[in-house]
Amino acid sequence: MSSISTSAQARTGINIGELVKSWFRNTEFVIFLIVVILFIIGGSINPRFLQIENLKILTRDSAMLAIAAVGVAFTILVAGIDLSVGSIVGLGGVVVAYFMMVWLLPIWVAIPLTLLLALAIGMGHGLFVTKLKMHGFLITLVTFGLARGAILVLTNGFPITGLPEEFTTIGQGYIANLIPIPVVICAVVVAIAYYLLRFTFVGRQIYAAGGNMEAARLSGVNVDARIILCYVLSVVCAAIVGIITAARLSLGHPAAGEGFELQAIAACILGGISFKGGEGSVLGVLVGALLIGTLQNEMIMLNINPYWHKIVISLVLLLAITFDYVRRRRRA
Amino acid sequence: MSREPLLQIEKLSKQFPGVQALDAVDFEVYPGEILGLLGENGAGKSTLIKILSGVYTKDAGTILWQGAPVEIHSPHHAQILGITTIYQELALVPQLSVAENIFLNREPRRVRAAGLVDFARMKREAEAILADLGVELDGAKKVQELPVAAQQMVEIAKAISRNARLILMDEPTSALSSKEVVALFDLMRRLKEKDVSVVFVSHRLEEVLQVVDRLVVFRDGKRVGELSGAEATDDARSPSTSSSSKGERASEEKIIRLMVGRQVGLFPKEDAKIGEPVLQVQNLSGSNGVRNVSLTVRAGEIVGLAGLIGAGRTEVARLICGADKLDAGQVLIQGKPVAIKNPSDAVRAGIGWIPEDRKNQGLVLGMDVKQNTTLAILKRISNAVGTVRADSEKEIASEYVKTLSIATPSISQQVGNLSGGNQQKVVLAKWLSTKPRVLIMDEPTRGIDVGAKAEFHALMSRLAQQGIGILMISSELPEIMGMSDRVIVMCQGRVTGEFDRANFSQEAIMTSATKFLALDALE
Ligand SMILES: Nc1ncnc2c1ncn2[C@@H]1O[C@H](COP(=O)(O)OP(=O)(O)OP(=O)(O)O)[C@@H](O)[C@H]1O
Ligand SMILES: [Mg+2]
Repeated sequence: MSSISTSAQARTGINIGELVKSWFRNTEFVIFLIVVILFIIGGSINPRFLQIENLKILTRDSAMLAIAAVGVAFTILVAGIDLSVGSIVGLGGVVVAYFMMVWLLPIWVAIPLTLLLALAIGMGHGLFVTKLKMHGFLITLVTFGLARGAILVLTNGFPITGLPEEFTTIGQGYIANLIPIPVVICAVVVAIAYYLLRFTFVGRQIYAAGGNMEAARLSGVNVDARIILCYVLSVVCAAIVGIITAARLSLGHPAAGEGFELQAIAACILGGISFKGGEGSVLGVLVGALLIGTLQNEMIMLNINPYWHKIVISLVLLLAITFDYVRRRRRA
Repeated sequence: MSREPLLQIEKLSKQFPGVQALDAVDFEVYPGEILGLLGENGAGKSTLIKILSGVYTKDAGTILWQGAPVEIHSPHHAQILGITTIYQELALVPQLSVAENIFLNREPRRVRAAGLVDFARMKREAEAILADLGVELDGAKKVQELPVAAQQMVEIAKAISRNARLILMDEPTSALSSKEVVALFDLMRRLKEKDVSVVFVSHRLEEVLQVVDRLVVFRDGKRVGELSGAEATDDARSPSTSSSSKGERASEEKIIRLMVGRQVGLFPKEDAKIGEPVLQVQNLSGSNGVRNVSLTVRAGEIVGLAGLIGAGRTEVARLICGADKLDAGQVLIQGKPVAIKNPSDAVRAGIGWIPEDRKNQGLVLGMDVKQNTTLAILKRISNAVGTVRADSEKEIASEYVKTLSIATPSISQQVGNLSGGNQQKVVLAKWLSTKPRVLIMDEPTRGIDVGAKAEFHALMSRLAQQGIGILMISSELPEIMGMSDRVIVMCQGRVTGEFDRANFSQEAIMTSATKFLALDALE
């Protein structure tokens, strides 16, 4: 948090060096800079990287990751975690397809119903965490397995196909032939999350609960309700990504979202969400997701063997964590 | 003390954004001396200790350790040099035994190569080290089962067994009972005999005077004076030990004048108009050990809740504030019964609670002054869609920073960076902003310097005059007797005595406070 005090100092003193330094102490800015550098590298090696068609893909993928990551960030902010993200992405896609193709429900019923199911699951997570004082790790690990199992039961392991075009637009369409619809959805989710955390009392109470649960509770903050809300938002965000994924693939795929929790959590860490709770911002998560999305896209464009992708992402994560810990130690 | 100093510091400076915490400070410690480090909140005492223990790095100045210049890079480096710091948050492994902690990482082996630990020998040696310091403890006991005071001693023993030459303690006595303080001081004297030096910080002057050889006073990051133990205690010792003797006052006054640069009148209790009962507690019992407690606090009244540590006073507060579940009993606010199931019910009913542990229960240290001040009234200062109104938030925070004279560079300063006394004022600000009918204060002036303490007391008087009822828990008898209109005494979860200001006497209060203990001892 030294960034706060230094930026305050920079405002009074007119020291340009200090100002630049304070920018570099800002996680969001550093990560954003890395993204820019990745763009420059990518573009100079393979010019196709910077072409509109690729940028559409890149932003769409990053947007989907960002939505899920923002959700997970809520749980980390209250000193928890959500490991069920990947499985929920899969479940969300399969369930919405199941509603439409098996129960023959119209889209405008199928989607809200799917989100309602997500809400119920998130509520369950929150209740276990608050009422039984269970760590989020455990209960969401259970859902990680349960949801994947439910997917198999629903689909027998086969994709649910034949989704209507009005639905697939959600994942495949563009606004003004340029901006992918998932990017628009992401913008809305990020805007809401940003506003909630930054400006509302609920957001403030979430930070307080994460920073010092006992002090928040004794100050009359309904800590349990805030924690439950965070777990609900996490699962709902993951389900939204699931719906988009199904729309994009034109089918509900049983393996969709596998390993997505790793990427989402990585985006949070890169973006400066502290695992102690109570620290970090939505914008950080957004650039974190953008970084991972860019990296992945670039690896494809540069023809790097896909088997290496996970290793590269994990190494970036290692780098980020190490950097963060070293900086934290030096600050003390 | 004509010997070479063990530690000599020259022109040490340390700056934080907006604060010069230490300003060209000279400081020295001689071998085998007990040195008291005193000063107002924010004077820079903890900063000095943290630099010496390798937590902070200095901006400027030189540190000579046993005559040679050193740079202390890290806490580990400090320990290697022979400087050990005993923190409030203890640095032992709670699940391990006393002996295992003392010998951590150099356990005596039975067969060297096989790496088998000789537990019997380890326990024996650990107990010997402790006994040598005058401490009797079972070496096989798990550290987490020991009270804080004993844990402190284990930590000191561990340091000594690793050849520490200097032990630094930042407010080691603030969480100890008076008996434990005496034991700690005995231990300090033993250390001194072993030629180990002790530097300790405390805000309890009478306590400091009992044990120090010398004391150094800081103000605003500068060293403003030094008194030798003799000078400080001379007059205190001569007229026996009677606590209200004129001599002790005089020397305490000398220190206070150095610390705050002016005279301070302690316990500025002013009369307030005492009105109707604002808080009535009837037959309160809880699983936390409170048994059938009834008490009343009237508007404008300060009621002191006295007793020994562990008498159940904090537990009564926790029940009233909804922090713990109550089994039986009723709480009435302004004559009306209120159902308090959780802390938010209590806040809504107009009860404010300043808990004894401000770091863990009172504040969100990572948040700033403004955010902590408004934490309990967020809903009230939000608009219809739940947006916190930034202007009212700033206004409220600035107002309390002004009226409580909270020393902070700005309302956007993280409270974790404030000194203890100012942190406490932020907690008070948080509760005052809720416009409470009743304020429960648990050890409100613990860790607060004399100047701020007198200020805090004056503030309490003013709040009472505004018609707030105050229930004050304190383990300091002078504070209880100085500030209360009425005193209620507890022992083992029960109320054992009640006295009006006219009938205050130390003896009577202590007798009530130990009522059942005496019986237990007879059994
Ligand atoms: N990490 C930090 N960042 C910013 N300011 C700090 C930091 N640590 C201390 N300060 C400031 O430095 C000054 C000295 O603080 P310090 O903690 O040394 O005081 P102290 O004498 O120990 O006070 P107390 O008796 O209340 O414990 C204070 O104004 C404090 O707010
Ligand atoms: Mg201090």
